[in-house]
Amino acid sequence: MEFLGLVNYALFMGIFICIYALLALGLNIQWGFAGLFNAGIAGFFAVGAYTSAIVSTPPADGRLGGFDLHFVFGWIAAMLAAALVAWPIGKICLRFRSDYLAIASIGIAEIIRLVIKSEPVLTNGARGISSIPRPAGDLAYMESQIAYLIIVLAVLIAAYVLVERQFNAPWGRMMRAIRDNEDAAKAMGKDVEFRRLEAFIFGAALMGLGGALFAHFNRSITPEAIDPMVATFLIWIMLILGGSGNNRGAILGAAVVWIIWSVSEIATDRLPHEYAVQAKYIRLFLIGLMLQLVLRFRPEGLLPEPLRGDQRATKSGADPR
Amino acid sequence: MKTKFIALAAGMLAATALASAPAQADVKIGLIGGVSGPIAAMAPAMIDAAQLAVQQVNEQGGIGDGENLVGVVGDSACNPQGGTDAATKAVNIEGVVGIVGPHCSGAVLAAAGSVTIPAGIALITPSGTSPEISGLEDKGTVFRTVPSDDYQGRALARTMKEMGYGKVAVAYLNNDYGTGLANAFKAEYADELGGEITQFAAHEEGKASYRSNLAELAKGGADTLVIFDYGDGTGLTILRQALENGFFDKFVGGDGMKSDAVINELGAENLANFVSSSPVGEQSESLDMFNEAFKGVGGDPDAIFANTSYDAAFVLALAIEKAGGNKADVAAAVVDVSNGEGEAIRPGEWKKAKELIAAGTAIDYKGAAGDHNFDEKGDVPGTYALFEVGSNGFEVITEMK
Repeated sequence: MEFLGLVNYALFMGIFICIYALLALGLNIQWGFAGLFNAGIAGFFAVGAYTSAIVSTPPADGRLGGFDLHFVFGWIAAMLAAALVAWPIGKICLRFRSDYLAIASIGIAEIIRLVIKSEPVLTNGARGISSIPRPAGDLAYMESQIAYLIIVLAVLIAAYVLVERQFNAPWGRMMRAIRDNEDAAKAMGKDVEFRRLEAFIFGAALMGLGGALFAHFNRSITPEAIDPMVATFLIWIMLILGGSGNNRGAILGAAVVWIIWSVSEIATDRLPHEYAVQAKYIRLFLIGLMLQLVLRFRPEGLLPEPLRGDQRATKSGADPR
Repeated sequence: MKTKFIALAAGMLAATALASAPAQADVKIGLIGGVSGPIAAMAPAMIDAAQLAVQQVNEQGGIGDGENLVGVVGDSACNPQGGTDAATKAVNIEGVVGIVGPHCSGAVLAAAGSVTIPAGIALITPSGTSPEISGLEDKGTVFRTVPSDDYQGRALARTMKEMGYGKVAVAYLNNDYGTGLANAFKAEYADELGGEITQFAAHEEGKASYRSNLAELAKGGADTLVIFDYGDGTGLTILRQALENGFFDKFVGGDGMKSDAVINELGAENLANFVSSSPVGEQSESLDMFNEAFKGVGGDPDAIFANTSYDAAFVLALAIEKAGGNKADVAAAVVDVSNGEGEAIRPGEWKKAKELIAAGTAIDYKGAAGDHNFDEKGDVPGTYALFEVGSNGFEVITEMK
């Protein structure tokens, strides 16, 4: 192994962490702010990924599009499409209490996956869409990764600043009030249902953007990417571990979990050769164990939600990075 | 807890750094597969088969000046996320000179698009059958030892045209198998060869009666019905009802229709005009050699994609030897060692191949799963044959080209 290899690997991890951090931020708006248990992240991720793919690929036979537009339009379209899909879903499902919402959202993610898989006219079906342009993709391997990392990092920072602003704004306080005591919020004259829908749609839009960034990085998107393990539950683990209700926590959680998820494979590869196949399962075990430990010893996550009323806690709170 | 987590993460990083510190003269190839995830049951045999090739190489002199070939196993979890992650690690941390895998098409597309094509590393998948892989702009670095899904549909169309079939109607099951085959068939039969497809219709699974579908299909005046479905399921019902009502004279099926259930249920005497295509495990010397060797290490040679995995690893090893261990030349060498020209090399004949390469003689690998003469897209033709129903079950009429 050479130094350059390590750098390349670090760049790759950086890109994935940024993409997952966007998904975790989206989930943080829904769960951390508004207390909506969305277990269908994969669905919005997929809508975003496919929308951007259709908008930005060159025209192809047998499926919708492509429209061959600049990737920026693809990303904007991804956010809009995810928001648009979230609207009727939220309208219907947000009436459910938390655990029923979780069940409904799992079902919806599955419906989205099956539609994508079995509608070749729309999404090319099981074959997926390939040759999606990657921004700065013509550069050499490492330069192209650096350029993409800069782009996703910029997107992540922009998203973080905006979400953090909202969190500290009256809107954020209102959302937490609704989350913690719905009746009291209602008594204060807040339109609870509308506000929840708002949070659901904003979160979904960010998830859609995350999906789009993912599709452009891989230059392809297939129904196999809409795997609940890596597109829903891994993100939940990131948010819970990082600290739900805290935007920095969401980002930190994404970084910690992805690093452990990815680097642990290199560690388990040091086991004797005969166990090479079995060793892969140790990673799954590790992630599960980590979640258990966090829930047992630190249920509020690595970076807990800042105390109500003490806004400075978010700005000068301990930052372990 | 915070510090503990950081310590844990740091510890893992340190372990990684330490573990990779010793400078080895090994030549590494990545064996990336869906170890966890939906194909977890199939993956171990595929990886074992690839490791068998690695083992044979090492037993018979290794790579170059007796360097060890090492297969580094990576988990693609059968999804793009895992595929890119495993490929990035294989290429950058392990420094592999080539990759066998990933196993699932989505992971292949993602790993190729974001890692191996930019890095210029050769990738040979033993089981990614998606037609999308053919269309990758891969600078000649992506190969596969399994035919594309497109291939059977197109080969069937060509064979039928040759055999003089005229107007046909196509009925296909509405899932990825049925649609994939039917579209490939249509593209070749109607668009390329100018044959006439009078009706082209999907049907849903598990209905009691397909008479209305069949009546619709028969409208264009076709005398042949092509069925892309499963012979132990809906396809059987359709075939039976078509026979009972005399909608069509001749019937053609895809590989799903080549099921003993069809003969048992309908009787061989009624199936005189029924033919079906199917992949044939070409009874070659190569396949026997692989089966023998794989049994020898405790593997099951009938395991699905085991022979294609073995071939992928062996071809890659030959290419590395040919390229003299130079990463950038491996992809081009893959075509050189298996293009149908040169001294034949069969599975396990590493020593012979090594001597021939050293002497500068052209070699041609004849694999367990086929000859693997890669075309410019990195694809291989499959070995399919057309079967008819004889007195002893299905019998080969002709090979499909």
